[in-house]
Amino acid sequence: MIEYQNIFTRTQVRNQHPHIVPMEENTVFDRSSGSFHLYLAGKIGNARIGPIFLGWFGIASILCGVIAFEIIGLNMWASVNWDPVQFLRLWPWLALEPPSPAYGLHTPPLREGGWWLIDGAFLTAAIFLWWIRTYRLAKQLGLGLHVCWAFGAAIWLYMVLGFFRPILMGAWGEAPPFGFFPHLDWTAALSLRYGNLFYNPFHMLSIVFLYGSALLFAMHGATILAVGRYGGEREIEQIIDRGTASERAALFWRWTMGFNATMESVHRWAWWFAILCPLTGGIGILLTGTAVDNWYLWAVKHHVAPSYPIIPVIDPLTLPGAPTN
Amino acid sequence: MAMLNFEKKYRVRGGTLLGGDLFDFWAGPFYVGFFGITGTFFTILGTALILYSAALGGTWNVWQINVAPPDLSYGLGLAPLKEGGIWQFVTICAIGSFVSWALREVEICNKLGMGYHVPFAFSVAIFAYVSLVVIRPLLLGAWGHGFPYGILSHLDWVSNVGYQYLHFHYNPAHMLAITFFFTNCLALALHGALVLSATNPGSGQVVKTPEHEDTYFLDLIGYSVGTLGIHRLGLVLALNAVFWSAVCIIISGPFWTKGWPEWWSWWLDLPFWK
Amino acid sequence: MNNTFISRLGVQALLLLAVVSLLSACEKPPAKSVQWGYRGTGMVDIEHPATMEANFAANQVPEGLPAADPSGPRASEVYKNVKVLGDLSAGQFTRVMLSISNWVAPQQGCAYCHNLANFADDSLYTKVVARKMLQMTRHINSDWKSHVQGTGVTCYTCHRGNPVPAYVWFKDEGPRTARGYLGDRMGIGSPKPSIGMSSLPFDPFTNYLDNKENIRMAATTALPTGEDRQSIKQTEWTYALMMHFSKSLGVNCTYCHNSRAFADWKQSTPQRSTAWYGIRMVRDLNNDYMKPLTEVFPAHRLGPTGDVAKAYCSTCHQGIYKPLYGVSMAKDYPELQGPSPNAAAKPVREDSAEESVVKKSKKAKSNTSAKLETDIGITAKTAAN
Repeated sequence: MIEYQNIFTRTQVRNQHPHIVPMEENTVFDRSSGSFHLYLAGKIGNARIGPIFLGWFGIASILCGVIAFEIIGLNMWASVNWDPVQFLRLWPWLALEPPSPAYGLHTPPLREGGWWLIDGAFLTAAIFLWWIRTYRLAKQLGLGLHVCWAFGAAIWLYMVLGFFRPILMGAWGEAPPFGFFPHLDWTAALSLRYGNLFYNPFHMLSIVFLYGSALLFAMHGATILAVGRYGGEREIEQIIDRGTASERAALFWRWTMGFNATMESVHRWAWWFAILCPLTGGIGILLTGTAVDNWYLWAVKHHVAPSYPIIPVIDPLTLPGAPTN
Repeated sequence: MAMLNFEKKYRVRGGTLLGGDLFDFWAGPFYVGFFGITGTFFTILGTALILYSAALGGTWNVWQINVAPPDLSYGLGLAPLKEGGIWQFVTICAIGSFVSWALREVEICNKLGMGYHVPFAFSVAIFAYVSLVVIRPLLLGAWGHGFPYGILSHLDWVSNVGYQYLHFHYNPAHMLAITFFFTNCLALALHGALVLSATNPGSGQVVKTPEHEDTYFLDLIGYSVGTLGIHRLGLVLALNAVFWSAVCIIISGPFWTKGWPEWWSWWLDLPFWK
Repeated sequence: MNNTFISRLGVQALLLLAVVSLLSACEKPPAKSVQWGYRGTGMVDIEHPATMEANFAANQVPEGLPAADPSGPRASEVYKNVKVLGDLSAGQFTRVMLSISNWVAPQQGCAYCHNLANFADDSLYTKVVARKMLQMTRHINSDWKSHVQGTGVTCYTCHRGNPVPAYVWFKDEGPRTARGYLGDRMGIGSPKPSIGMSSLPFDPFTNYLDNKENIRMAATTALPTGEDRQSIKQTEWTYALMMHFSKSLGVNCTYCHNSRAFADWKQSTPQRSTAWYGIRMVRDLNNDYMKPLTEVFPAHRLGPTGDVAKAYCSTCHQGIYKPLYGVSMAKDYPELQGPSPNAAAKPVREDSAEESVVKKSKKAKSNTSAKLETDIGITAKTAAN
């Protein structure tokens, strides 16, 4: 039954000579071979896996990434005294922590945050090298740079968290650790320290765009699948030559909510919503601790915080004769 | 009459679930239908109740307006209007309105010869809302467990319910939901970007083909899910984000009362490595 | 029935099995909930009835011994080497001794502290420790009413029939890490029940309940003033301490706080005030009663860094919001309620300069405690209305 709902592909086609756009330059990396087919992938999308174009930037990026990965892993393993069983058992709780804030922006000893700093450098290098890939590949294929800029928004958030904000705060120790549970502890601690991040308006905006992205992809994905019988997924063709798929899709939303997008503009809605999530989120993090010290009090100042009927309790520290801390 | 230039031929009779021809018309660009009537009724009533509550609440500041659920002491009964009863009626109106919207979408799908994917997806969102204000309160024995209707006040509820479990980030279903949300955001950015990059390739370039899209992602990450696949993937990611969010809150309280970090003890206490 | 159908069925069955087994790590409804904030704020406690029953069964108050005759010769006249309880009558004295052995060493009996050939002899370290403990108990009941109110404590509150209370803490430097250039844990990553099995710092107790470092870390102004330089890492240490508070009282953060403004006292519950005094009390007990006993304890009773066992919230509370559900044992034991007007409590050793300073500040605290108690009394009553 679910096969007829355009969720899984019923019949998979195997193309002996798949259409791949040839690369004019750089014949060192030939794309006619190096691929295989995965049946399970073909149930959802294309079955073809590979070949990947790595190039020098790709290789450099992966190298830096692997080094970063290894530094984190080896430090975690060392923190359990090289016990392989405890490493596996305790892995979610382990971390590579940034240095103590007492070190400020100075380089700490290796054991006390030095590795974290080195790791951050390698990881950042890996990410920037990958970013360059998204740019170069687009240029080589004659595509627009939208993927590159989208990735840039994510890099903005990453850099705010690990680089820009710590510098503005004057301490590497303000950055999140590498670790599964520990990075969640950092997130909670950030909110606790700065007066509950829910009251940060940029945090609100970022969540609006995050949930909005979920809403949009559910809407758009569902719409295209619903008009699959008219070739709705052929979006490029539908953009330059509107067919009945686009028309029905547009009318569905027009009749539902009174307005609609076009086959092209829906992708602009999508792009902007998705990108604004990390963009506004990064701004919100950057302002935390630098421009605002307590978001709840900031909200009270701007008459945004609701009030509840309460019976106030007195801070014992303010009572006369109270023992000092 | 607010119609697009190709719209007229699509405005056909039929496809209704209830009411036949009686409500089968458009109002401006909106399709009405039986569920358009019921939806409008619930929306107007619910909005009026919210405004009434705001008038009682002493502030018209849109950020501070708060329609609070009843005290837990009222259990699963009806509370006095001013003590949470308004919240209960607003909730009923909201559910009525959302379900009407979904069924109206079904009627529109019928008219346009489309699959029911959109109302199905919306139903998952309705499930998430219902799980917060009906299912979980039912399981816990009091309507007071629902979240307040207020822009900032509902965030206070989220914060406090989170801290009821000491460190909500450790909730495994919450982790799954967040992963789906973030992955969905990534996928949406990539999909929007890819289509736009093919159709807006920059000055001096011609519009590209799906083969270019596939090649780009094969080159970049070694795999391209394809034009149909990306929409399946996007829908699945988005729906899972919402589904696991609903799960993460239903299990908090009815199925787990301790701190969420403690749940992970089962991993630490596995017999072969304890 | 083709292969895809069977394989799909198999996948579904596997998924069902996974969901059921993961859910089996959870508890089953129904749960009981208590509200302590304004409706809709989510300041609620949800408990599982099975947990509540187990807790109730494990925290029952034992039968006390019948009250003793306060008349007759004093214990210091009847027995030798009585330094703390000399003001009691012989009957009261015996009653306390019997109770102590019930509460602290029911299996071992008198021999746990006493040389049975000579009861006055101080050769067993346990007797020296017990003497200090008696002073501590009286001190808590008379000078820390701001925390223990009229309920008070007895030896049983912490010991519960164990020579060493089940819940004590030692300074924890963490499990062994590798030597060399890698692998410093930096105080995190060792999940323990006392911090709720999180990866937050595993020893917040040394900083906050032994030393007196600042627990408050949220800013008190909306905009930075340049003065408040608490870091995110410091916040994690406070968070770890707060996890302990929640675990040891069997409550969650909203028992004391409205999490939208943790720091704001006006939005906190009265319990937070009681907890504030609890922190000061624990610091006092650890510094003035436990740490001076470090030389007295043998090595096997000390921690991995050679420090003495110390108290935290769990020591008395043991997972309940009020120790023993707030049932007062101390009301039946006037012998343990405070220094007698007849004789001042003598210290274990000669007063060092430090100890006389401590004594002076304790006296000052007793005066303040009375006033604070009144303030707290007023606040609590208002809250009840």
